[in-house]
Order: sequence, then structure tokens, then C-alpha cells
Amino acid sequence: MTAYYVGIDVGSVSTNLVLLDEQEKVFSKLYLRTQGQPIRVLTEGLKLLKNVAGKDYTILGAGVTGSGRQLAATMTKADIMKNEITAHAIAALHCCPNVNTVFEIGGQDSKIIFICNGVVSDFAMNTVCAAGTGSFLDRQAARLNIPIEEFGGYALKSQMPVQIAGRCAVFAESDMIHKQQTGHSTEDIVNGLCMALVRNYLNNLAKGKTIKEPVVFQGGVAANVGIIAAFERELQVKITVPEHYDVMGAIGAALLAKEEVKNRATTFRGFDNLNSEFVAKSFECNNCANKCEVVELMQNNCAVARWGDRCGRWSSMDNEVKEKKVEKQKTATLA
Amino acid sequence: MYQNYSLMELLGYKNHIINLYYFGKCGGKIIKIAIPRALLYYEYYPLWKSFFEALGAEVILSSKTTKDIMNDSIKYCVNDACLPVKLFHGHAKSLIGKADYLFIPRLKSIAKGEHICPKISGLPEMVKFSVPGLPPIIDTEVNLRKSKRSLKKSFFDAASYITQDKKNIQKAATLALSAHREYISALKSGKLPSELLENTHLTKPTASDLNIAVLGHSYNLYDSYSNINILNKLAAYKAAVYTPEGFEDALIDKYSRIKGKKMFWSLGKRQLGALFGYIERKMDGIIYIMAFGCGIDSFIADLCERYAKRNGIPFYLMILDEHSGEAGINTRIEAFTDMIRWKKRNENYNPAFR
Repeated sequence: MTAYYVGIDVGSVSTNLVLLDEQEKVFSKLYLRTQGQPIRVLTEGLKLLKNVAGKDYTILGAGVTGSGRQLAATMTKADIMKNEITAHAIAALHCCPNVNTVFEIGGQDSKIIFICNGVVSDFAMNTVCAAGTGSFLDRQAARLNIPIEEFGGYALKSQMPVQIAGRCAVFAESDMIHKQQTGHSTEDIVNGLCMALVRNYLNNLAKGKTIKEPVVFQGGVAANVGIIAAFERELQVKITVPEHYDVMGAIGAALLAKEEVKNRATTFRGFDNLNSEFVAKSFECNNCANKCEVVELMQNNCAVARWGDRCGRWSSMDNEVKEKKVEKQKTATLA
Repeated sequence: MYQNYSLMELLGYKNHIINLYYFGKCGGKIIKIAIPRALLYYEYYPLWKSFFEALGAEVILSSKTTKDIMNDSIKYCVNDACLPVKLFHGHAKSLIGKADYLFIPRLKSIAKGEHICPKISGLPEMVKFSVPGLPPIIDTEVNLRKSKRSLKKSFFDAASYITQDKKNIQKAATLALSAHREYISALKSGKLPSELLENTHLTKPTASDLNIAVLGHSYNLYDSYSNINILNKLAAYKAAVYTPEGFEDALIDKYSRIKGKKMFWSLGKRQLGALFGYIERKMDGIIYIMAFGCGIDSFIADLCERYAKRNGIPFYLMILDEHSGEAGINTRIEAFTDMIRWKKRNENYNPAFR
């Protein structure tokens, strides 16, 4: 019998799952597109993981991270729910113990994490908008009719990058169209976009900070060789991309779960229990003028969790009661 | 018996009795003055309220920021103003039809040799021409840059809409200033503006191992709607929260001088002074809350970041805009508190995290 830890990272663009074995090696990983439907994708992902795990396995612990972590934690009853920064830092330290700087560029967030003697010493995240993140590249790739997987390859073929405004995706788009109209090659424009993103990232997040080697680059955008090249050209340092760069958040979550369940049994619901149907609904609470948008997670037509309210009226509802209700309904349907 | 009342309620009660006793303003039409619950409300409300009430007027305050006020703010204000200025517009809009006058003082300078944000100085015009249907605006000018003497003129100016009785105005001004002093001394004793003005208390964590200083202009720190309740969120992560309002002016003055130079933005000066004060008190971390596009904070927040880092104190700059999603702020606060705890644990036991 083999024992595993499950790590789940529900991000805005991708939902990633990993199975770590007891030696903290990645046994299996999944990179799925969230496509705005985290519940469905997560359910499917867990089913796939179950198939991979085979017949003879046991799950020792589960951890969740990512912007959809609350949803995932409620659905899977994971042992630990952590923010992306901590999860990514733990994962980076795991694959490269002497790491000093972590670049993480995801779909909606970009982060820089500074690590000193194995401890996070500082971090920064993009502030109010998503410029300088993966969605910026996604959007421009779609405009240029290039599959995002081939985007980086184009940049490497460029002879001379064109200058493109990188502050804002909208500015960049109009700038890019002008450059296309004046006859620059697609390769040069793609390279210009990569450099614009890198410039934007460094100006926004690394402003005034010293970037010390070794530098680890992770997150979905690390697949893009054009961006890696642009970083190396801009910073004159070597960029390391870990083997499992795309699922580092999930690896971090699994490692955190391992730490968490050291002295106790897991609360993880197991892969099978997802057969019950999860639906998320949202409604506007009209109890006061704040009109909070409350999200309600329903399991078999019974609310199991609510969040999004400012006053706590909905989110503090007793979870035990909700669980009991679900159980009751289950027995009722069976009878 | 007074414990259940906020300072404001008690002040109102006191002023009410004084009104009846001194001025006999119980008959006739009572003039209603509206004050938006935004911007420098958090600094001067007790002063304004007791002044107008002592003159026999009734003060109408807008409600706490709500979704409707936020929506109106965005709708009526010019697009590139900062969030707090926008919110002022929303609050002003919500007061239409509720009062005879809208009080928007033109604060040019609130201390000798200091300036205030130019948007606050231009607020009366900005609001007048952006929000239609407002009641007449009392736009008294307050300019203490050269000396405090002009304050008397400001009081007479504001009072002229209600009464011409010089003796009454003088008395009301004295009362107002003493109410202000009372408010300030309550702040210095460690109370928060939100406690004194709105009677909402910060949930104090039972056992906290983190001391976090939260800096920022008072209207960013204490409007719990626009800052997504950040002070209470920090408390939920078991951090004890410290804000700049508790510092003595003399200390702020002393600390805020960088290499002997005076910081001339009043609100910026307080942040800078508090920063050095909290560095000296060895806080575990410092969070600066800034409104997107704030000109003063573009300097001050950056200075704060540099000096905090130089002293080895973790610093995080939180930028507010019209966002209402909590996820982003939660992630940042959780990561920040995690980072500090991880660091502390490491200093104490030394072996790495795992």
C-alpha cells in the first residue's frame, strides 16, 4: 500500500493537483484549465487522481491553496488552507533549498518572493490590475493568432525586439497594432511583448530591491521560453525553472499538509465523496445597505458553506448543523 | 453609567443642555447642517458637531459607507480622483434633501507651515460642480499655514449662516475647540476614531504574538467598508494593531524630521512620525494603507518602506481602490502574518521551518 499527500491549487486560470509520495516526490500531477468553473474542474481532477493512484492507496493529508482555496477546502475538507505566497515559497525551498528569489507569474497574480536563509523575508504582489501576468500574454497571443504554447518559441526567433508599452494590457494592445501596421514581423512583436511583460513585472514588484541568485521562476508563465530569455537579458542572472514549475503551488500545499497532519489523522473527504453534487450560488443579502454578495456552496441541495459577507451573518452559520442537514438528506434519499 | 455611550453621544447631550441653558434656542426653526462621513470627518467631526450644535443648529451626518454610496461615488466624481475623494462625493450625494446646508470647509492648511492635500483644498468646488441638486454649501476657508489667528475668522464665517450674534459665536468656538481637545486626548490615550465616533470596537485578539503597526490617512484606516475591514481582519489573524493616531504631536514632530527637514504635508507627517515611533518600539511588521493615485503617499509610503526595510522591519504596502473582492486582501494579510511568524519562529529556534 502506498501513501500519498494531495496538494490542490485552484487558480484563476488553472487548477492544479499533485500526489506526493512519502519521500516528497511528485508521483502524479495534473494541470487543468479552470475555465471559470472551479467546482467542475476540481471534481474531475480528483477523479483523475483517483484513477492514477490505483487500487491500493491511502491519503495521509490534503492541502489547498490558490484564489479558489476556500471553495476547494470546503469541498474536500482539506487539512490545511494556505495563501499562495507561503505555498509557493515552501515549494521553491523544497526543490532548491538555497533559493533567494522566487518569481511566480500566474494567470491573474504575479508575485515576487525574497527568501533569506530558508525563510521568506519579503514579498510583493501585483497591486490593482492584472497587467504583467499570464492573462496579458494569453490575450495578446489570441490577438496574434498564435497558440500560447508556441508563443515563447516565436520570441526566440526574433532578430530585433520592438518596443511595446507594457504598463497596461490595453495600451500594449494599441501599441502592438500600430507596430503590426508599420510592418514589423510577428516574431519581433512577440519578443517585444515578452520584454514588456518582464519590464512591467520588474518595475511593479521588484522596484528598488536587489535580486539575488539563485532565482527560481515558477507558475504557468515559466513555460514561456521567451519570457525566461527576456528575464535573463534584463537581469543578467541565470533563471532556474524547476521540473514541476506549473504545479508548484499544489506541491507547496501538499508539503504544508504533510507538516499539518504529523500528529493527527486527515480530515480529507476522500476521492469518492465527491460523487455528491456541488453547486455554488450567489445572492445579494438585503439585511443592510451594504448589500454583500454572498456565495453559497450547496451539497445535494443543502448549503454547506457561505462566504462573502462583511458582518459574518452568513459565514458564521454553524458548519456542524449544515453537515447534519446534508447527512439527513442523504439518508432520506437512500430510504 | 456613561460607559454604554460613545463620546459623540455624550458630547451631543452636553451641547444640547448648553444650548437650552445659554441660548434658549428651543423655539423657532432649527437649521440643519449636513456633514459627509468622509475624508477629514475622522479628524474634526467632534469640533464641527459641537460648534454647530452650540450655535443651535442640528447636525446631520451621512450614514456609514454602503454599496449605494460607493456606486454614487464612482458615478458622480471625476474619474481620476482617489477613492476617498470619490467617497466624499457619494456621501454628499446621500445628504441631498436632508439638510439646509452642506458643510464642506475649504481646508488649505491645518497647521503652521504645513499643507494639506490639494484635492481637500479644492473640495467645495469639486463637489459643487460634480453632484447636482446639493443644498447650499458652507465653504469656510481654514488656512493656518501662517498663524492660528485666522481660525477666528473661519469660525465667524461658518457661523454667519446661522447667527450673527458675536458673543454666541465666540462661546461656540470655545466649546468646539475644547471638544476637539477632548477628542484628541482620547485618541492619544489609545482609543481609535472608530471607537469614539461610531462606537464600533475593534475585536482584540485574546492572545496575540504579533504587533503590527497600520499606517495610513485616517479616512483610509477607519472607513471599514472601503478598506474591506482590514483592521478587524488583522485582529482575526491574531495580530495586535497599532495606528498613528495614538502618537503625541510632539513626538510626531520630532520623529518626522528626516535629516532635519520638515515634512510639510500634515497627513504625511503623521505617518512618517508614527513610522519612526513604531520602529523604535520594535513592531513586528508595518502595513501602509494607501489610496490608489494618492500624490502625498507616493512619497510618504515609499519613504516609509525604505526606512522600515533599513531597520529590518517587514513592510507591506496595501493599495485601495474600488475593489470589493476580499480574496486579494485576505491573501496578502495572511501571507504577511505568516511570513512574520515564520521569521520569528526561525529566530527563536533556528532550525528551518520543516
